[in-house]
Amino acid sequence: MTVGVSFLGYPRPRGVPGIRNHVAILSVMDNVNPVTRGIAHNVAGTLPITMLFGRGQYGYDREVTYRTLAGLGANPNIAAVLVVGLESTSADEVVARLEESGKPCDCIVVAEMGGTIRALEEGTRKAQRLVIEASRLRRREYPLSQLRMGLECGGSDTTSGLAANPLMGRVADTLIDHGGTAIISETWEFVGAEHLFAERAQDPDVKREFLDRIRSAENNALSRGLDVRGTNPSPDNIRGGLSTIEEKSLGAMAKAGSRPLVGVLDYGEPPHLSGLHYMDTPAAAVESMTGLSAGGCQVLLFATGVGNTIDCTTTPTIKITANRNTAVALADNIDFDASALLDSQEVRMDAMADQLLEFVADVASGTLTKGEVLKQQELAISRFQPST
Amino acid sequence: MESAKLAAFLIHASDNVVTLLGQGKEGDDCDVHGARRSSVVLKEDIQYGHKVALRDIAQGESIVKYAQTIGRATQPIPAGRWVHVHNIESLRGRGDLEEQR
Repeated sequence: MTVGVSFLGYPRPRGVPGIRNHVAILSVMDNVNPVTRGIAHNVAGTLPITMLFGRGQYGYDREVTYRTLAGLGANPNIAAVLVVGLESTSADEVVARLEESGKPCDCIVVAEMGGTIRALEEGTRKAQRLVIEASRLRRREYPLSQLRMGLECGGSDTTSGLAANPLMGRVADTLIDHGGTAIISETWEFVGAEHLFAERAQDPDVKREFLDRIRSAENNALSRGLDVRGTNPSPDNIRGGLSTIEEKSLGAMAKAGSRPLVGVLDYGEPPHLSGLHYMDTPAAAVESMTGLSAGGCQVLLFATGVGNTIDCTTTPTIKITANRNTAVALADNIDFDASALLDSQEVRMDAMADQLLEFVADVASGTLTKGEVLKQQELAISRFQPST
Repeated sequence: MESAKLAAFLIHASDNVVTLLGQGKEGDDCDVHGARRSSVVLKEDIQYGHKVALRDIAQGESIVKYAQTIGRATQPIPAGRWVHVHNIESLRGRGDLEEQR
C-alpha cells in the first residue's frame, strides 16, 4: 500500500536531498549571536542558527560543538551557509568542515571587519546573494530511500508507549524497508529496555557499543550518588502516568520499530549506512533533536503524550499524539492525531501508519508543520564538560 | 466523550498492571482488553492513562508491563488499586541506593 510513496526535495551537491531550502546564518559561538539574528532579520529566506557557549570549550566538548555546528550547516534542508565568527581561526574551522557538503558557503568575521555595523552590512549583502542563488533550485521527485528520519519523543505519558511510539515504529520500519534511514536517540531512555534493543544489533560490535553507551550514562549517575527519579521520568511524565524510567524506556524504544540496529552514532554524527541507527544524546528534546539534525535528518517524528510543543529549527518536526485530551487541548501544536488507536478498537495500527507515512511525504514535499508556521523551533548543542 | 464503559489496556498477558483509557471512579467496573479480555473493579479514583493493579501484588514483587519489570512494589497493592510512584519504585539509575551500599 505504501509502495510508491515518494517526495519532492531540493537537490544538493552531495548526499540526500533537502525538504526545505533555507540559507543558514550560523553563529560559531555565542558572542556573535546578535549579528546572526540581525542578518537573518534583514534577509528573507534565511534561518538564524544561534548557539550558547563555544568559546573556551576544549577536548570532547570542542569536538562535539564544531561537529554539530558543521552538521547543522551541512543538513540537507540548508541550501547554503553564511558562517558568522568573532575571529577567523574558529570561523575558518567551521567553514573547512562544511566544505565536504559541497554547498555554497561564505563567512564574515566580526572583530576583523570593523565591528558589528560593518559585519551586518557585509553579512546582509552576502546572505542576499546566497538566498537568490538558493531560490533558483527547484524540487524534484525522490524515492523514500533518500529520507533520513529522526525518531523523537517528549512530554511522554503512557499513551506514548502504547500507541504513538509504536505507530512511529511502523513508519520507521516501512522507511527502512524502502532503503531509507531512521535514527533513534536519547540514551537514558533505553535504561531498563536496553537488553531488548541490544538483541536487535546486527553484529556483536554494534551490540557492545550500544550497551557501553547505556552503561556509561547510568554509571555516571551511580558514581555520583545521584537518583534520576524526579528528573527522568520528569514531573509531567509522572502526571501522565509514567512511574519509572524502566516503564518510560520500554515505551520509548517502540519508536524504533522492529528492524535490525545497524550502527551507533556519537552526538551529531551522520550515519554512513542506511537502516536503523541509535545516536548517543541526552533525553532532553531540544538537545536530542539538535544532534539528530546535525546527523543529517531531514524530518523528525515527535510523539508526545501530555504535550511538548518545541520543534527543531533546522529539521521540520511532525508532532504526533495518541492522548485524546492532548489532541484537543494542544490542537494548535499537534500535526497528527493518533488517539483513535486507543479510543476505537476498530482502528488498525497498519492503516494509521500508512496515513502517517503519506503525511511525512507531504511534509517532505513542502507542506508546513504547525511548529514551522508558529516558529516553535529551537536548537541547543549538548555540553558534557566544563569550559576553560 | 462517548458514554461507553470504562476500558483499560493490557499490553502482555503476563503483565500485572493495565493502563486506564478513561477517567476512573472508585467502584467502576472496568473492561480489560488487549493481550486478553478480563475485568477489574477500581478501588479508588484513578486518572486517565494511569495504571491499575490487575491482581493483588505483594510488597517487593515486580511490577510487570510490556512483559518486563518496570519496578517493584514498595507496599502491598490489592487488585483495582492505582499503581504509581507512591507505591512502586524504579530499580535503575539509583545512585542513592549505590551510596547506601
